[in-house]
Amino acid sequence: MGHRILTVEDDERIRTSVRLALEDEGYDVVEAESGEDALLAFGQDPADVVLIDIMLPGMDGFEVCRAIRKISDVPIVMVTARADTHDVVAGLEAGADDYLTKPHAPKELSARIRALLRRVRPADPGARHLVFGELEIIPDEGVVRVAGDEVHLTKTEFRLLVELGSNAGRVFSREVLLERVWGYGYFGDGRLVDVHIRRLRTKIEPDPANPRHVVTVRGLGYKLQA
Amino acid sequence: MRSRWERLGLRARVSLVFALGGLLLSVTLALVTLGFTRQSLLDQREDAAFASFNGNGRSVQTQLTEEADEAAIVAIVESLSTSRGEFPLLRVDDLWFARNNTRFSVEKLPPDLVMLVEEGNAATIRTTIDGVPAIISGILLSNSTRDAAYFEALLLDDVENTLSAISFVVLGAGVATTLLAAALGSWAARRALSPLGDVRRAAESLAAGELDTRLEPPADADLASLSASFNGMARSLEDRIERDARFASEVSHELRSPLMTLNAAVEVLNNNREAMPERSQTALGLLNDDISRFTQLVEDLLEISRFDVGTASLQTQPLGVVEFVRQAVHHSTRPDAAVLSTPEVDELVISADKRRLAQVIANLIDNADKYGDGAIEVQISLGDDTVVIAVEDEGPGIPEAEREVIFDRFSRGSAGGRRGYDTGSGLGLSLVAEHVGLHGGRVWVESRGDDRPGARFVIALPVGDPEEHE
Repeated sequence: MGHRILTVEDDERIRTSVRLALEDEGYDVVEAESGEDALLAFGQDPADVVLIDIMLPGMDGFEVCRAIRKISDVPIVMVTARADTHDVVAGLEAGADDYLTKPHAPKELSARIRALLRRVRPADPGARHLVFGELEIIPDEGVVRVAGDEVHLTKTEFRLLVELGSNAGRVFSREVLLERVWGYGYFGDGRLVDVHIRRLRTKIEPDPANPRHVVTVRGLGYKLQA
Repeated sequence: MRSRWERLGLRARVSLVFALGGLLLSVTLALVTLGFTRQSLLDQREDAAFASFNGNGRSVQTQLTEEADEAAIVAIVESLSTSRGEFPLLRVDDLWFARNNTRFSVEKLPPDLVMLVEEGNAATIRTTIDGVPAIISGILLSNSTRDAAYFEALLLDDVENTLSAISFVVLGAGVATTLLAAALGSWAARRALSPLGDVRRAAESLAAGELDTRLEPPADADLASLSASFNGMARSLEDRIERDARFASEVSHELRSPLMTLNAAVEVLNNNREAMPERSQTALGLLNDDISRFTQLVEDLLEISRFDVGTASLQTQPLGVVEFVRQAVHHSTRPDAAVLSTPEVDELVISADKRRLAQVIANLIDNADKYGDGAIEVQISLGDDTVVIAVEDEGPGIPEAEREVIFDRFSRGSAGGRRGYDTGSGLGLSLVAEHVGLHGGRVWVESRGDDRPGARFVIALPVGDPEEHE
């Protein structure tokens, strides 16, 4: 059985054509024409990936994203109008893992979905137990603890943390992180990394404004330290 | 044909007229002043000289007695009261008596005057003695018992000194007046023309795209109507351009949903391509090509309309130039294009918008691929405070006349529509220009550096301080 994709889109024609294209790729597609519908459908039968158009009548895409994020760490792809608007950052801050602009080819969409599904599996089997002071990462079990308390991360945040932790002290450029975590090349959007790092800090840093573990190296990227 | 006078410019002309007026006025005043001063000084001195001459003449007449010998006569001459510049001269019989060390003696008496006096007239003449103006009076002492004549000269060096001092001052005043008049003219012209300067600056800024440029309401009522109509024009221009830009933006926006459907639907058809008859496959191929062209066009239109409505903004980040260009070329339609860089740019990091700059490189490479046949070379070097990225192709090159318009929207080159220098949407190169402009850089096209046929598209981006951005 294929993975379940929930598409939230108010335009019926787009919904239908995207369903047909995704079904051709072997996915099981559930359609929702509004945010309310989407939450209902997701509650009944959670999907493996959720695709949300930001411009929805009624409850908008950001709200849907936040609502799903409260109950699930399912990968979410936002569909935004343009890449250079604040919508992208707002969508990522609402909890989306990635974004696509409209119009996009179904091939791009399925590439994104594949990348998101791929990363649900643990990253580096070599690292069994990573400890950075009070921060503890167990990649195989998908567990992160801060001072002994388990912290709940989305799969993308977890993958990002494991990438940084698997080579502690090394500085990772945005480009490298985009490639390893999202499967993008050099031209991926660096804001994906920045917003996810921000989200990660609010969860694992004692003081997110003055991060101790996930530090910014000006002009170069990020690194993880004890 | 404009005369040389008109070519001078209003300000220069007004200054010149003021200066000439000032000059004329000061010359006239100087001449009149000097003339009057001279006349009044001379009159005054002449009166004084005449009074002194009369007094001394009478005094000589009474003192010159029959028995007065030479010594007595010398004493008489010495006793005469004279002020500065006055010199007595007395003839008794054939002997002339003057004071010692005098600047006036019988040799200096004009013969005319001597003749007049010896005939019995009292006479005064104006003459010069050793180059100094002088008034000489003479009288025959006819009532005396002796044959005698008395002369007195007044040397006017002090008057000349005074006059030359005065003319010096008047000349200085004249020069100052002329310069002051010229400066006044220049200032007045500038004052009068300064609203025109404001209008010019406003028009230039409008032309440069600052559509919200308006003139300040002027204090001068004469100019209020000019500024009001200028502002009215600017306002309607702004409204119109904004309306057009919004329209383009909204149309492109509305086109995205159907394009989304088209893209997905044609993909479903592509998945079943093998099962289709050949004619349908050909039709599907056309559909695919045009949907991607259409998608590109809409994306480019949206991109460019954001510049028009003024919402385009840079999202800068530090970029290692050489690595960036290599990656951009690698992801372009011609990954085989050679990338050459000079050693100074190896470590160069600039602050730039990666997405926009990647589109710039991609569009230039696309363009070189479509319209320049053969190899493509990308060169990176350092300019004056800029990094210069040049894309060279081996096509026929761009004629001089088209090198500006090539960056216009939907511009088509001369070679019968074959050349368009765009990415297929007709907007590729104008997007390049917009993106580069947003970075504060410049873009132009020239001939290849090595004299071979081909075009060389060059962008120059400012090398800022990448540390300003994280």
